[in-house]
Amino acid sequence: MKAPESDHQLFERLRAGQEQAFVALYHRRQPALYRFALQMSGSAPVAEDITQEVFLALLREECGYDPGRGSLVAYLFGIARKLLLRQFERRRSDVPVDAGAEEGRFAEPVDASDPLADLACRERVEALRRAVISLPRRYREVVVLCDLEEVDYAEAAAALGCPIGTVRSRLHRARLLLAEKLREERHGSASVPAWKAARCAI
Amino acid sequence: MNCEEYWNEIAGPEPAEDFDAHLAACPACAARWAAGRPVAASLRLLAAEMKHVSAPPRVEAHLVRAYRERFRRHVPPAREVRRWWAVAAAVLLVAGALWIGMRQPAPPLVAANSGFAAAAGSEEEDTAFVPLPNAAGSPQDDDVDLVRVELPRSAITALGVAASDDGDAESVEAEVLVGPDGMARAVRFLN
Repeated sequence: MKAPESDHQLFERLRAGQEQAFVALYHRRQPALYRFALQMSGSAPVAEDITQEVFLALLREECGYDPGRGSLVAYLFGIARKLLLRQFERRRSDVPVDAGAEEGRFAEPVDASDPLADLACRERVEALRRAVISLPRRYREVVVLCDLEEVDYAEAAAALGCPIGTVRSRLHRARLLLAEKLREERHGSASVPAWKAARCAI
Repeated sequence: MNCEEYWNEIAGPEPAEDFDAHLAACPACAARWAAGRPVAASLRLLAAEMKHVSAPPRVEAHLVRAYRERFRRHVPPAREVRRWWAVAAAVLLVAGALWIGMRQPAPPLVAANSGFAAAAGSEEEDTAFVPLPNAAGSPQDDDVDLVRVELPRSAITALGVAASDDGDAESVEAEVLVGPDGMARAVRFLN
């Protein structure tokens, strides 16, 4: 059986005018890019625009992808991130007011066989979704890339333009912030998290 | 290993065996780890729920249009060669048809039908109307339309009319009588 073409091979072919390669690369990479833009912006129309712009960038004469500097997927996420930053600057607001209300924002129920479990699960997931979107941008982007889209740390570091160690530390800090936000939402008050109360002995 | 080294190395969802010793010895890091653990599990749930979300089909349609626009001039070599062969074959066919048409003996000149002549009524009566081969019978005066056209000079000789040598023009003006059925009946060359 023939091994699937790499992203780089598809890129080379699409630049040579082969439309099937462009469509294949789009189908392979579009969902994660769209979800990244959606989770970062909280807006389906913005995510749509960003996805479109990312792939249009591949068609430009002066497309800046250099295989020597990183993978194509890191390059694509990097473009998406730059476009999102530009979008945030235009809106002068990092966090949308009502992200969940927009078209395409909510997914189907997780488990339709047990309505109560499904409801509890959905509530948890919705609370987490709100918490993710309310994170500061630098924490949100690592959570979305590494935890939600399962991009590996090296590619995430290339996309974000920072060292891998920074990705790791931001990711853990982001999870702690999320835990804190979820706890606040559950108890309706800002309690001091256990890990802050303890002193590091080593 | 100090705390900073630990957190720089171990931000994954599950700690590796080597790092358990630090967690066992450091209550602060253990508390931090415990706080982040349920969130990592919930994030996996959220990721699974979002897995089927993707851009709507209109994005792909727009991109494919943009792609075709961008690479419109770039035709793959095999297709380009096939296209040029088709053009060459068409040119040969047209040239052959013209050559065969010119070799056929010219039909005898027929005097202009009075009806045709009357229909013309033009001052530029350089030649008489020549009935076209296979044209139906002479239409009535008021049944015809007169259309002025430009024809290639070779068409004159194909119809058996001697072409004048004066003029370097590639085309000549002509008037065509068109019957009520839309078929050309006769032609007259003006210069």
